[in-house]
Amino acid sequence: MADMKMLDASDRGLSSGYMMWYRFSRNPAAVIGSLILLSIVILAVFAPWLTPYPKHVGAVVDFRARHLPPDASHWFGTDKAGRDIFSRTVFGLRVSLLLVIGVLGISVPVGTVLGLIAGYFGGWVEKLITGLTNVMLAMPPLVMALAVSNLLEPTLINAMIAITLLWWTWHARLIYSVSKSIAAEDYIEAARLAGAGPIHILFREILPNCMAVISVKTTLDAAFVILFGATLSFLGFGVKPPTPDLGSMVADGRQFMPDFWWEVLCPGAMVFYVTLGFNLLGDGLRDMFDVEN
Amino acid sequence: MQQHPLVAILTRLGMFVLVMIALSIMIFILARVVPGDPARMALGPAANQEQVEALRQQMGLDRPLPVQYLDYAGKALSGDLGMSLVSQRPVTTDLAQTVPATVELVLVSVIFMFAVAIPLGVVTAHYRNRTFDYVGRFLSLTGVTIPSFLFAITMQLVAARYLTDWPIIGRLDHGLAWQGGPTGFLLVDGTLAGRFDVVLNALKHLALPAFALSMAGIGQITRITRSSMLENQRKDHVLTLKSFGVPERVIIFRYLLKLSSIAPLTIMGLEFASLIGNAFVIEMIFAWGGFASYGLTSILQKDLNAVTAVVLVAGLFFIIANLIVDVVISIIDPRLRRKEER
Amino acid sequence: MDEPLLSVDKLNVSFATYGRSRQVLRDVSFEVAAGERVALIGETGSGKSVTAKAIIGTLPNNAAISSGTIRFAGQDILALSKPDREALKGTAFSLIMQDPLSSFNPVFKIGTHLDDVMRFADKRNGISSSKAERRTRIAAVLRRVQLADGERVMDAYPSELSGGMRQRVLIGLALLHQPKLLIADEPGTALDVTTQDEILNLINTLVSQENMALLMITHNLGVVRKVADRVVVMHHGDIVETGACADILSNPKAAYTQALLEAVPPLYGPRVITLPQSDRAPIVTIRGLNKIYGKRPGFHAIRDVDLTLREGEIFGLAGESGSGKTSVARIIMELSRATSGTVAIDAPAPGRGRRLTQIVYQNPGTSLNPKRTVKQTLSLPLTSIGMGSDAREARMTELLDLVRLPQSYLAKYPHELSGGQKQRVAIARALAAEPKILILDEPTAALDVSVQKTVIELLVQLRQDLGLTYLMISHDLSLMRNFCSRIAVMLRGEIVEEGATPEVFADPKHPYTRALIAAIPVVTDAEEQLKPVVTEEERTRFLVKTTA
Repeated sequence: MADMKMLDASDRGLSSGYMMWYRFSRNPAAVIGSLILLSIVILAVFAPWLTPYPKHVGAVVDFRARHLPPDASHWFGTDKAGRDIFSRTVFGLRVSLLLVIGVLGISVPVGTVLGLIAGYFGGWVEKLITGLTNVMLAMPPLVMALAVSNLLEPTLINAMIAITLLWWTWHARLIYSVSKSIAAEDYIEAARLAGAGPIHILFREILPNCMAVISVKTTLDAAFVILFGATLSFLGFGVKPPTPDLGSMVADGRQFMPDFWWEVLCPGAMVFYVTLGFNLLGDGLRDMFDVEN
Repeated sequence: MQQHPLVAILTRLGMFVLVMIALSIMIFILARVVPGDPARMALGPAANQEQVEALRQQMGLDRPLPVQYLDYAGKALSGDLGMSLVSQRPVTTDLAQTVPATVELVLVSVIFMFAVAIPLGVVTAHYRNRTFDYVGRFLSLTGVTIPSFLFAITMQLVAARYLTDWPIIGRLDHGLAWQGGPTGFLLVDGTLAGRFDVVLNALKHLALPAFALSMAGIGQITRITRSSMLENQRKDHVLTLKSFGVPERVIIFRYLLKLSSIAPLTIMGLEFASLIGNAFVIEMIFAWGGFASYGLTSILQKDLNAVTAVVLVAGLFFIIANLIVDVVISIIDPRLRRKEER
Repeated sequence: MDEPLLSVDKLNVSFATYGRSRQVLRDVSFEVAAGERVALIGETGSGKSVTAKAIIGTLPNNAAISSGTIRFAGQDILALSKPDREALKGTAFSLIMQDPLSSFNPVFKIGTHLDDVMRFADKRNGISSSKAERRTRIAAVLRRVQLADGERVMDAYPSELSGGMRQRVLIGLALLHQPKLLIADEPGTALDVTTQDEILNLINTLVSQENMALLMITHNLGVVRKVADRVVVMHHGDIVETGACADILSNPKAAYTQALLEAVPPLYGPRVITLPQSDRAPIVTIRGLNKIYGKRPGFHAIRDVDLTLREGEIFGLAGESGSGKTSVARIIMELSRATSGTVAIDAPAPGRGRRLTQIVYQNPGTSLNPKRTVKQTLSLPLTSIGMGSDAREARMTELLDLVRLPQSYLAKYPHELSGGQKQRVAIARALAAEPKILILDEPTAALDVSVQKTVIELLVQLRQDLGLTYLMISHDLSLMRNFCSRIAVMLRGEIVEEGATPEVFADPKHPYTRALIAAIPVVTDAEEQLKPVVTEEERTRFLVKTTA
């Protein structure tokens, strides 16, 4: 009977959904981060309808409107070809988000699976995978990405491939350490004794316990990927003009500094806005799930 | 089962050698296989087929890949990394000229990073959820969210407008009569030669790029330090000291700080890779003339020997940095020392 | 005596979690006179540790004292300014911490902790002291807790000392400045029985030597009898009963205290349950078992173990941590391979996905996957033996009935269950695929004593109904006395004693067995009298050294 009384006296009466919602609503970082990301997704998806000059995405030239400072009709001013910078940054968001989806869509599953395998099986599989991640980690990502994408051909797809080739290692490394400690838990052995096969143990027993870590890491990584992509395109390894891309817009505007400062600062601020959203949400999720570093 | 500490260190060094070998194989394959014909690229589209063939033979490209690699590795060990196709000089000569500039910049940034981030992390953790914490957290958040190129450009611009005398490009003013010194580090060479005007001038040049380069790291390390401090604050041993009346400042600055420096140090080791990456951008913006600028040029020019060497040296930086971090952490944490002995 | 040393009056404390306030202490009032030994006893969630924290002033941030006073030597300490209150710590009253490993910062030497505590207490008392002088004084204190080689202890890092030694240092820490009141939070609970016994003896000696008052926080009634003059019984934040130790233990008034005493398995006397011996055929036969971990010379975990388990019996394998009892069980379960020797199980080969052996782990908190519902956990073994979904549903209904849990629990996650309920689910999982032998690895060690009672009753019932054979691994000899029909005692990988449980307890042959039994804290004086006698020489020969 003591069992039943204890149940009432503790937090067990609360559903996990309520606890999550409570933690979320009490976490300003998570709330603001989600709002920022929501606004970004809406802007990016509905860009053609939400921007004042959707045509300015292409190779439009309007010399009369060159280098106009921000005003009511051009919120972020215009660039050297007289194109509306606000419209172009919003379309540039699409490139950034595509990059995130492309890179993380491949590297997170790959890294997670390899990390799970290395952590659970141990032995030579563990040695092989951790050895490989150790080698990959020794390569400065930006240098490698520059080298690969230039040796192939400097396009967004190649940059994406280059980033993906390196990015999985960070996930593999993290998931490896988490899954190794989970693999040592009694409930994993109990599942094995109950006749569970490796696939069941990896994906039904261990993976659900890694989801908090994965979601935090993925969210924070999205910000890094965007920064990374912006840096690559700033250095000239991004999408082909005239497609707008936040990094290359900053690079283009740099030659007109400091007089036409908005051409650098506005696309730059947009990068900041996106990465801020992902970082706030990631930090908030970390607090909510109580994930250690 | 006791193992000599020296054995542990040697084992670790062995691991790093293995990583270096694996890294060199990877980048070698990447540089030789991916881009097509290096000989054709070196000669350009104007050359005819025979000329290309001749250069292929001369470069040894007609031999099997493993043989090429062994040949390259053997030469690399004796300090021959091949000729740079662009500068027409041995790659090692180019590296010797450019590496010290980058190392100096990176080291100053790292020192600056720790000097700012660790105290900021400790203090924000202490004032958790108070105004100071929010300000500190926002600052560290901007550190990790603002692209370093944007930060660098803006600083350069502000300095150009408001600090007209402040140098915004290069390592040293041209007006200074300076022949260079034995180490290539301006701060060290200048001090050795007693030329404090050079040291001061070099410091002025260093300030902006070092600050720009350290921004991301400051943000990252502040955050890690803060959360590590908060995490350790919940531990029982803090309660032990508290229940015996050891003052809070002693608990924080003595007990917690040492324990909580392990996490940021570990992260620092890993962050080193992105630090080197950011150096490419910063050096370009500030016309630094270091190894990263050299790397960027050689990548753009598809100068394969130089690219291979640059990646290897960058990997070596990373490995050395992590070796140092490992040693420092095992000095801090006695549990690790014991684990190694087992 | 005019004024009590410590007086807690109508203390109310509440915790705020998830936006809801939960009262954890309700009008808690009790007193501790100078030189008196008082025990605060209660199970999980009783509020005993919260009370201690409120006195010391280390309540967590989400806790609030809503009303009440705490007076120390007549002074209301809740009304004191922060520095005044700090000044009391370590000098007026001292705390002996519970978990000896996590109570020290792992990257600082033991001596650093001690020195800082002494230095700042000195400063508050206006004493100036040099480091060398403090070191001498610390070494003297360490000698009083029987750590003669103080220099070595001070220069060691926490991870380099044994649990018993660290617990001694923690006691020494509390003694640095002659406190008037010692507050002990379950000291030695994390340690082996014999070590815990030594620690309690040490505390008793020190308290009487220094004429200190003691406030002992514990869940163990046996410990209460050993160290307390007076008892305060707590239950869900209320004080249910207060009285002299002998009165409460022999003649409890409150129903809760009665139930609590009832739940403690007796070591000797009329309440002891003796199980009949099984005369059926042997089901597990172990011969010449050895296990060596690691390479040469390696750690010899099991040495030449021979064992026979008869069908239908409850066999107890007793021993302290590191005795090799768990290694034996793991080899029987084929979870680890023997270095030499044989294990034969005499039973027909089980069908696909079935096993002859299953296990119930010690800690139900870690043996159930937190992300899987009871239904998911239970359906796993059923799926592996090839059951269809209808058959699975039927069998799960049956299993929950077996372990006496309502059907609605199928949809629950482990965090929604109490410790006892989790352990029932773990038992149901072990039984799902109908094993012949159940290994019980300290199945109740993590549970409160009243919950332990119900789980043990369930296990006894299940063995009868299902005709199972149990192998119970435990260090809790009083529990094993009432639960096992035969028992073997392991020491450093060897079996030193084996026999029918009543005989082993009536006349233990091996000195180690005697020492183990003698160390168990018992509830009645009658039981204490019946304990075997151990000479000091035997004690030093067979017990782990915790002194330096």
